[in-house]
Amino acid sequence: MCDAHESAALRGRGFSRRNFLRVAGTGLVASYFADVLDPRLLLGATTSANVTLRNSAKSCIFIFLSGAPSQVDLWDLKEGSWTPADLAPTSYGDVRWPQGLLGKTAEHLPKLSIVRSGLAWAAVHQLGQAWAQIARNPGGATGAIAPHIGAVVSLESQASRTTSDVLPGFIALNAGAIPSSGYLPARYAPFGVTTEATGLATLTHPDGTARFTRRWDLLHQLDAARANGALGKPSLDMNDFYDQSKTLMEAPGVNALFSFDDAEHTRYGATTFGDSLIVARNLVASNKGTRFVQTTLGGWDHHSDIYDRAAAQSLYAQCGELDPALAALLSDLSTMPGRDGGKTLLDETLVVIVSEFGRTVGALNGQGGRDHYLRNAVVFAGGGTHGGRVIGKTDATGGTVTEFGWSANRDVRPEDVTCTLYSALGIDYTTVRNDDPLGRGFEYVPDAREGHYAPIEELF
Amino acid sequence: MNFIDSWIAAKQAADGVAPTAIASDAEFLRRITLDLTGQIPDTATVKAFLADTSATKRQTKIDELLASDAFVDRWTMWFGDLVQNVQVSNNARETYQGRNAYYLWIRESIRANKPYDAMVRELLAGRGDSFTSGAANYVVRQLQNNGPLQDTFDNLAAHSAEKFLGIPLLCLSCHNGAGHLELVNLYLRGKSRNDFWRMAAFFSHTAARPTRVPDPNNPNNMLVKFDVNLNAAGRYRLNTTDGNKTPRQPPAGGSDVATPAFILTGEEPRANEEYRDAYGRMLTADRQFARATVNYLWKEMFGLGLVEPVNAFDLVKLTNQPSHPELLEALADDFIAKHYDLRALLRTIALSSTYQLSARYTPGGWQEAWVSDYARRYPHRLPAETLLDAIAKATSVPVQINANGLGVVTRAMLLPDPLEGRRGVYGRFLDAFGRGDRDDAARTNDSSISQSLALLNDTIVTTRVRRDGNTTVAKVLAASNDPGTIADELFLATLSRKPDEAERQTSIDYLRAGTLGERAEDLQFALLNSLEFLFN
Repeated sequence: MCDAHESAALRGRGFSRRNFLRVAGTGLVASYFADVLDPRLLLGATTSANVTLRNSAKSCIFIFLSGAPSQVDLWDLKEGSWTPADLAPTSYGDVRWPQGLLGKTAEHLPKLSIVRSGLAWAAVHQLGQAWAQIARNPGGATGAIAPHIGAVVSLESQASRTTSDVLPGFIALNAGAIPSSGYLPARYAPFGVTTEATGLATLTHPDGTARFTRRWDLLHQLDAARANGALGKPSLDMNDFYDQSKTLMEAPGVNALFSFDDAEHTRYGATTFGDSLIVARNLVASNKGTRFVQTTLGGWDHHSDIYDRAAAQSLYAQCGELDPALAALLSDLSTMPGRDGGKTLLDETLVVIVSEFGRTVGALNGQGGRDHYLRNAVVFAGGGTHGGRVIGKTDATGGTVTEFGWSANRDVRPEDVTCTLYSALGIDYTTVRNDDPLGRGFEYVPDAREGHYAPIEELF
Repeated sequence: MNFIDSWIAAKQAADGVAPTAIASDAEFLRRITLDLTGQIPDTATVKAFLADTSATKRQTKIDELLASDAFVDRWTMWFGDLVQNVQVSNNARETYQGRNAYYLWIRESIRANKPYDAMVRELLAGRGDSFTSGAANYVVRQLQNNGPLQDTFDNLAAHSAEKFLGIPLLCLSCHNGAGHLELVNLYLRGKSRNDFWRMAAFFSHTAARPTRVPDPNNPNNMLVKFDVNLNAAGRYRLNTTDGNKTPRQPPAGGSDVATPAFILTGEEPRANEEYRDAYGRMLTADRQFARATVNYLWKEMFGLGLVEPVNAFDLVKLTNQPSHPELLEALADDFIAKHYDLRALLRTIALSSTYQLSARYTPGGWQEAWVSDYARRYPHRLPAETLLDAIAKATSVPVQINANGLGVVTRAMLLPDPLEGRRGVYGRFLDAFGRGDRDDAARTNDSSISQSLALLNDTIVTTRVRRDGNTTVAKVLAASNDPGTIADELFLATLSRKPDEAERQTSIDYLRAGTLGERAEDLQFALLNSLEFLFN
């Protein structure tokens, strides 16, 4: 909720969210995407000196556990009288691990780094979810125009795209409704895909290629508005998606990336979430232009019955989906070759697991569940991160941080997670774009330039 | 020229923006039919309207559409979106039975042209068995099952303030306005969580008692219905520590019970006035109710509110938050004077020159910043259900979608909520076009690559242009083999107008270059994919 917060920035100006073209000042142009082929050059973004970027990852798989899992039962396990025996707490070095929930993932612990000093800003689902995906207060000055961080990644990769990069830069798999491209052009919006074993039926024209070509040509002969923009900017956004569609349809091998067989489906846990990760793996392995893949696994809002195996939603149910899929993904990425010599695909792919906030600690509430709590954990793998590290320590219940565990010596905020992600992908997180419709400058991460937020260098 | 045009013209003059020309009859007819009924006009209607020489034919058409059944369908969908009537959401389960009762109540209210203030008062006071009393589902929809009762009261206050007053109160349900609201809403900065609790306390006499009953569709399945009724002993207590909100505790030395007071005025219920009746009375009597409502309807007709976002009025910025502050007030005056008559308000808007401007901007170069000057019609993509119905109507191949408990519907606009048909081919298509879920995914008319792929390659489109059975293409081919006539008829059926000379020649050349039947299919396919078809 709190979508009312979206309003602030637009108040009184009557702006369309898509008022981007105003900067061009030339009215409508059908090929307006040319303006952002080299965004830095044409739009005058500024960055700060002395920023060192990791530039260690080529793409990112962003896994959102929506509803907010209990960090003290998973990534920062705290045992007490409430802990069911079948969570099977097990020690791996210094890490206590819920073997009964995440037994398969345990095999990949050396690849994972866990940040335990995470802290969300808001304990309201939608607000917290939006915050984590746009790296700022959705109700703040630029909240209403802010693109999803994946859209920024997509925009930043635009200049280096080649003709073989036929896929959209940002693909969202079974991710539901998520923030979009904000004030950036619609082509940077997530391409939302509902996975199916046979792939995307709409990549093929049912009446054959020859017929399609004829129809396409007729459409463009008749539809003058596509060329002259007479129906306005939103219609040109649609026209651009038509062009992208044709490119996707004509490129070889695209549908195979969205398809999977029974064996893989089973190996990834035989769930929709598992299917998302199969396709995510295919997309980053394909090197066809996708740099940011988001998937969502929901059902973590365990206010009640968190330890009840019979409940439709419980740690058992949700981990039953997460564990096999995550383990299979890490296993595959770490055994597939990367693009650079000697690197694995995992070396070049940053996997980030986030949630909007955490859950209350200690004994359960009156309904056998845990409620909303700001303290949470973030998990990283691959993409240049070292693996096998734990950043931050909490007290006996997990309610309070006793050691932040990183150089900034403070809580890790969603903005810091974004700085980390951008740095790994070689994107300057201090960038301030000068093309925003509010004319105030759009910061990739607000106040990062002033040093308020920073990458977690200790992960690398 | 009505009062709308005066205020719009004043701002255009101040901004130095020239309005474009009035739309042609064909453009007007297609637009008003889509906006008022969610449908495109059929060929016979287009021909008759173009041939009509009456000077008042636009007014006559508006009145005809306002009185049509299709108007009821389209505005039932609008109100269902507004109040988020849906069988299941993250927090609540109306189930299909409660959803249907609610849907039918909305439908009947719109059909009967119930004054909008009376409609909202009925809803806010809704009682009874949720499977038979539609209005009782306003409460059921906001039940928060994973927290204390106060969470439900909070939902009801925040939802009703947002949907009927356009004011975003939810933030206050967790913290005082001094938190981050100075950035968001200056009016709310001055409000406290206690003010919010008192608003929510209007719902504290409400009880919703669940009963399990067998699902008539499946006797093995049990459904929960609610008896929404009075619980005079109910209190809004400040004694919670868990649930979905930060803890509720009384102020130092204060009472641990919040008593009802309307947040905009401080007014309390009269002696012996039931809380929810009092709330409905105060809410609908407040001028902000009229402002918010005219703004919601304005956005439906123009694609852009005078205040944006429509659910985020800042009451200390009424003179500079709206793009046209005086117009907003004048529309509110008109709405109140005409006794909250939705049709009358839509009629006033539709009759304005502002509404009837062309989508094509001809006075010179266009700038996006002028969108809120209303110097032209600014087209937006057809909403999901409208688009699917337009494809079906243009091709004469209706859809068939089962609506649980209501039977098969032949137009998407008749679906009682956006979760129906979700697993079928039509559901996937509608989802791709952003029908939302009446919960955490709002309806959107943004475009996407999934949409263009569907329009190009989904069999929903490609099979409908085939020349078999009773499709439009089959009928047009059966009636004539003259390429010019075929082009005329396919343009009329699809774009609700005749082709211009160049379009007609292009079409004739194309039709002559191969098998006529195949080529006619291709022509309608191209027209269905034209931006003019997809946007209004």
